[in-house]
Amino acid sequence: MTRDEISELAAAYTLGVLEGADRARFEALLRASDAEALAALRDAENTLVDLAAAAPAPPPPAIKVALMERIAAEPTASRAPDPVHPAPSRPRALWPAILGGAMAAGLAAVVVGWTVSSTYEKRLDALAHDADQLKVELRNQQAIMAILRDPATQVVVLAGLPPAPEARARMMWHAHTGGVFVVTGLPTPPEGKAYQLWAIAGSNAPVSAGVFSVDANGTGSLAVHPLPGVSTVDAFAVTLEPTGGLPAPSGEMYLLGKS
Amino acid sequence: MPSAVPGSETFPALIARIAAGDRDAFSRFYDLASPLAFGLIRRVLRDPEAAAEVLQEVFWQVWLEAPQYDPKRGSPEAWLVMRARTRAIDRLRSMRRRDRTFVAPLDESVARRDHGSAENPAVMAEHRDLVQAALAQLPEAQRRVIELAFFEGLTQSEISLKLGEPLGTVKTRARLGLERLRSALRGERLSAT
Repeated sequence: MTRDEISELAAAYTLGVLEGADRARFEALLRASDAEALAALRDAENTLVDLAAAAPAPPPPAIKVALMERIAAEPTASRAPDPVHPAPSRPRALWPAILGGAMAAGLAAVVVGWTVSSTYEKRLDALAHDADQLKVELRNQQAIMAILRDPATQVVVLAGLPPAPEARARMMWHAHTGGVFVVTGLPTPPEGKAYQLWAIAGSNAPVSAGVFSVDANGTGSLAVHPLPGVSTVDAFAVTLEPTGGLPAPSGEMYLLGKS
Repeated sequence: MPSAVPGSETFPALIARIAAGDRDAFSRFYDLASPLAFGLIRRVLRDPEAAAEVLQEVFWQVWLEAPQYDPKRGSPEAWLVMRARTRAIDRLRSMRRRDRTFVAPLDESVARRDHGSAENPAVMAEHRDLVQAALAQLPEAQRRVIELAFFEGLTQSEISLKLGEPLGTVKTRARLGLERLRSALRGERLSAT
């Protein structure tokens, strides 16, 4: 590959528009710590930093208040779930511990929220936020219970492939209500990468079921919403993709399980 | 900017402290770096509420992922800006998916958008002029590719369709545009100081 070609890939990658085979090619270079690719990427990224630095905008103060509250309410040992994006790095224990763990986390959030409010009366906003988080958590738990009770729920066991032969995962899947995915034994993804779960039905292209990360023990979980247009799933697979995921798998496959 | 900040308050030092769970370091990093991220997010997302939410998500991600920051891979600014860009474009794309009747006003120069900031309008205008001037120095075709990709979140194939240009041409223009933008911004900054 010429230097120009590498710069081209780096520019498109940084602009967020690199697709398909080109993207896979460039990411392979990055994974291999190719010096030219890394230098080209740094150059392109720095240009965008310059572009952003040329027009800074002070954010509304409420954002910082909300963030600091969120961080203060976070238990020190584990990092609290993100209500918008279901906890990619939430260190969830094994499957049987999920319900208990979530309840404890919920209880901890209530206690923390209560203490904070009694100390600082002005933090009503933060409490409202906590309450919203708890509602989200509760809805998630109710969804999990519904899935477990339903005889139509499929349980798919996924086995580790050569990149992580010791990895194991389980998917409780219900076409109408979605499902829960739990995994152990995966290596921590490198910077800029995350695992992506795919649902495969017949000869159709794989459908993304979400992106997740794993904690230091290689354990992770993911709440999966019903997938539009997918009823019966023949297989679930996990690949390593750029953080945020891709519309179609491009990276190596780490886990596969057929239903 | 960050290089003017002394000792333990350089960006890499702050990220290292954040990784260790230091909330003061996070607060400091937010104060120093959030205008950088927010300026970018506001140019991608016109809805101020969506922009505020994305900024919060980006900095929440900073808090969670600081331990994974690798200085060998780039500066903390780049790390932050790339996250801000990705999240903002994701949000833009999902807003478009939700509202299929939404038509992006691709024909306006996004660089001319109002940033909606009430703070120090003179400085803001000056910054805007800087970006505008840098973008204006690009040949029209390269500028369009950069704007469509970076600020509108279109993929290369979408840009190629939109402009009626072959994909290869779009790729080359993205590279040339970014390279020229870089020298233009550097030049502007040097002459401004």
